[in-house]
Amino acid sequence: MESTLEKLKILADGAKYDVSCSSSGVGRRNTGKIGSSAAAGICHSWSADGRCISLLKILFTNKCVYDCEYCVNRRTADVARASFEPKELARLTIEFYRRNYIEGLFLSSAVEVSPDYTAERIMSCIRLLRNEYGFGGYIHAKIIPGVSPEILHQIGLLADRLSVNIELPTKESLNLLAPQKKPKNIFAPMKQITQTLTERKQLKGAGTMFKNQDIYSAGNLSYLEPEGENISTGDGSLVDLTGRPLAAPEKGRSRKERFAPAGQTTQMIIGASPESDRQIVKTSENLYRTFKMKRVYFSAYIPVSNSPLLPTPFTAPPLAREHRLYQADWLLRFYGFTADEILDEKTPFLDLELDPKISWALRNIDKFPMEINKVSLDELLRIPGVGTTSALRIVRQRRLSAIQFDDLKKIGVVVKRARYFITCCGKYCGGPDIAPDYIKNEMLAAECIRNRLLPIDDNVQLSMFNPVANQWGTVANRPDPIRNLHGQRTVSHG
Amino acid sequence: MVDYLYDGTFEGFLTCVYYHYYGEKASGIYRKEDYQASLLSGCRSIVTEEKKASRVYEAIEKKISGEDLRRIYRVFLSSDEEKENKLLRYIRLGFQEGSGISLLHSNPIVFEVQRCEYKVNIETHRIKGLARFTALRNSSPRENGNEILYCSIEPDHDILEIIANHFADRLKNDPFIIHDKTRNKAVFAQGGSWYISGFTDKDLPLFGEGEREYRDLWKKYFDTIAIRERINPSCQKRFMPVRYWKNLTEFR
Repeated sequence: MESTLEKLKILADGAKYDVSCSSSGVGRRNTGKIGSSAAAGICHSWSADGRCISLLKILFTNKCVYDCEYCVNRRTADVARASFEPKELARLTIEFYRRNYIEGLFLSSAVEVSPDYTAERIMSCIRLLRNEYGFGGYIHAKIIPGVSPEILHQIGLLADRLSVNIELPTKESLNLLAPQKKPKNIFAPMKQITQTLTERKQLKGAGTMFKNQDIYSAGNLSYLEPEGENISTGDGSLVDLTGRPLAAPEKGRSRKERFAPAGQTTQMIIGASPESDRQIVKTSENLYRTFKMKRVYFSAYIPVSNSPLLPTPFTAPPLAREHRLYQADWLLRFYGFTADEILDEKTPFLDLELDPKISWALRNIDKFPMEINKVSLDELLRIPGVGTTSALRIVRQRRLSAIQFDDLKKIGVVVKRARYFITCCGKYCGGPDIAPDYIKNEMLAAECIRNRLLPIDDNVQLSMFNPVANQWGTVANRPDPIRNLHGQRTVSHG
Repeated sequence: MVDYLYDGTFEGFLTCVYYHYYGEKASGIYRKEDYQASLLSGCRSIVTEEKKASRVYEAIEKKISGEDLRRIYRVFLSSDEEKENKLLRYIRLGFQEGSGISLLHSNPIVFEVQRCEYKVNIETHRIKGLARFTALRNSSPRENGNEILYCSIEPDHDILEIIANHFADRLKNDPFIIHDKTRNKAVFAQGGSWYISGFTDKDLPLFGEGEREYRDLWKKYFDTIAIRERINPSCQKRFMPVRYWKNLTEFR
């Protein structure tokens, strides 16, 4: 029998690739014995990789019957195995929580014996926390694909947030890398959660994505046939959006018995399969629209196995790509962009050098410059360098007085980005030209300086020998072999 | 024009504002102990008067807004050296502009105050996460067996009373102390209610049962959860400035 310390090490190690750690989405005062939860979420620490630690993110067990290629805990992997007892984990959570180490529990698990068996163990641990310890903190429960609807419902009544991992952006990749996980087993619980939230009129969508739309009617919930026939992969999307309409929302539920008040999320691995960014962004948009997810998380694939189906173990995780995808995700959720605007057929991948909002602006340069004092809030949000906070401030302040260029910095606009795309009281402060190439060069130069590199220009590349040559004035026009060697761009941006 | 000196309380500050309007105009408001006399203007020590303070208090609430009153109080808790003067300018502008003052984001007077407020708010939020409690043995015979949770913090701003409610609600069954080491005072809370009083950590009781083990467990968890391939110390420090580390269990 291992000690709790060893179990914690093994099971936290197995859970660390789970992305979500947020404790947001539900505000609740302490109604039990211990614990409350803040609507905005609270981060308690940041680990050495810079990711926040908000919840005790842990697996219930890492003994798995599945053999998914990309997973550290796959059946054939040679790792130490352990399982918690429900009592042990509940006690650990409470003691951590009392000391304010954590905001709550994020309980995931490998599939031991069967999905139902594992889910029941998860449920008994959460129930112990809620009922015995009177725990009012945040609980995020991972739903194992293939779990029975009754158990899922019970877990939903106890937990704040539920998540089912979609794992990979397309059905083909899923079939290839995780043959034991069937799309229909993943979508069935997602659908059930959305449906329950709909019935209880509790649905909360992602950010401001459903602004000006009825969240209960936007996008039809597709009813997946038992054989999964409805799952089309036409445009890289997993879900067919044309299904039957929703059941009418039920009325008059007691507020006490709330089902997953912080909604549901999901996550997918990127870089393990060959999908384009466009497919990934389209898939996440569909997930938002269909299942009203609160978040779709991306996780850069970190090589954990030698499988020939996957990138080699020496591949660096695509962190820059993950970052750009998250930026695209923010554009979807808070800025009113659609996936088709962010990436079109011609450009299936996000530019790693420029953020997707600037890329979009450069592709649609005819819409710019925008007059800060005139354009609508929705248009303000499309200006690179203007965020949701500063856009609202602009709208509020310009009711009282016109906004000058010098005011923008105080309002919180990132002027070095926004200046190329705006006019203030009719005046353009961007530079000599509003051509996409010029703006792009300026941006990249600024990026270089930020990264403490000199802007690289082949024509004025410094060389140890050049100044001497110029000084003597004799060899200035002669091709300099050393300069040619060093004049190449050896340092990449970003 | 005269410099007003007050005793460091919010009421004292409001009394100065009162005298600014009904007595001589203020060239500045300073805490008594921090004041350095200057040749340019004289100074006057103000005795805090509750009646005068509450008149200003109510006037701010009525003529500016309740939210601005709260904002003024939060800024007052900041450790900014010029906070009194910034606030005086803000209050003066507020009486002219009314509740619309908070919309003037680019006005330098409003900007200064909102930036101060932002700093206080951000630290409040940070400390809610970064406070670390230690379970201590409770030696008093009446509470036999119960542990006391003790936490020490060294915040930049005087945010103790803002975070007190949050923890008093969250930990209502655990008596706890949050000790502000830089200001030598602490929140004492039990059963959901709390008070603030002076405090030094001279005679702290011993660790409670299991405290060492849970510290080790937490450290182990903290080290394990980081993904080796993604190590990024500058990102970590951006979110969690190093000045807070000395009071964190995971770094001790």
